[in-house]
Amino acid sequence: MKIILSANKFIKLLVGLCLTTAAISSLGADNAPDLDGLWSFGQCPGGRFLGCMTLQEDDSKLTDRAKAYQAALDEIAQPKYDCAPMPIPHMYTDPYNFRLEQLEDRVLVYYGKDDVVRTIWLEGHGHPEPTINEFFYFGHAVGRYEGNSLVVVTSKFTFDPQGLNADFRIPSSTQKQITERFSREGDDLVMDVSTVDTFFLNEPWTFQVRSTPVTDMGDAWTCELDGARRSLRFEISKYPEDPEPERIQY
Amino acid sequence: MKIFRIILLTLSAVFVMSQAIAHHSTRGIYHEDQELELTGTVKEWAFVNPHPYLTLSAEDENGELHDWDLSYGGAAVVHLQRQGYTTDTFKVGEVISVKGNPARKTGVYGILMEGGGNHPTREDGTPVVAGGSMF
Repeated sequence: MKIILSANKFIKLLVGLCLTTAAISSLGADNAPDLDGLWSFGQCPGGRFLGCMTLQEDDSKLTDRAKAYQAALDEIAQPKYDCAPMPIPHMYTDPYNFRLEQLEDRVLVYYGKDDVVRTIWLEGHGHPEPTINEFFYFGHAVGRYEGNSLVVVTSKFTFDPQGLNADFRIPSSTQKQITERFSREGDDLVMDVSTVDTFFLNEPWTFQVRSTPVTDMGDAWTCELDGARRSLRFEISKYPEDPEPERIQY
Repeated sequence: MKIFRIILLTLSAVFVMSQAIAHHSTRGIYHEDQELELTGTVKEWAFVNPHPYLTLSAEDENGELHDWDLSYGGAAVVHLQRQGYTTDTFKVGEVISVKGNPARKTGVYGILMEGGGNHPTREDGTPVVAGGSMF
């Protein structure tokens, strides 16, 4: 079958195709705020430094279940002593620069600590969803551009004994879900972070931090097992009748 | 070489600083209400993440020589760099003096030095670094 188009119809078709392409692109990176670049670690508004983003040991947002876990968990059993990276959102409290890289179908976040890289899969690009039995240390992050913001929802976390706070042994469950909104305000990057976890939080835990542009990531950050485990010899075991844990030397 | 004394102190400022930087909790490990002064020779200086550490060979109050583990608590390399520390701050064999909170656990020897500008001093009494903010 032959399809013959007049010049007029051909031009109309071409214009239509261009408009359709533009409409599709507007859902993606073309209409996105410019978040690309190197950023200082986020600080709380009002000179509170890190104070706004730290869940306290006896925080009113903690469920009784969270407090029970906290009481039962041994400090020495925390993954941080094996150089496990800080989970999100607790990683926000680490004072290291980070880099955002906006690609057409995803956004990459490179953290200046522990070589952590998060991939935010942008909606509308056919990325596969995790299977029902897949869980991830940093979760599965899906993002979309919304006005002047990148909105990211991260879920499918593994259970983590230091998942809400590594300082006070507050765990997170597979029901942890984090919503992050990255927006530009002038030269600054503003991040609104909200975390829910029905098992360990009785209300959403929210904070806002602000980053400024920087010119370098800082020195490479490598975790040394000796440095991580050094203080363990001074820990007084919560379970003295148990045999002394033998650690794997990675 | 033996200078050893324990002083009772209130060190609330130390607690505030440790909360700000420590993922590796030091709470409950050290006698926060006691301060210990110690002079000895540097055996090892490991300027590593997540937490640098210093090993000092020094005598206890009974004159027995031990390896003391000197901790900067939750501070990482970047925090100490901002205060002037480098990989060359301490030389093996040099004599230094330190102050800090002694470990609670018996049979091990350790001091927590973090916070309050509590830096070790060299033999002539000068601090090993100029100090300043960790952030």
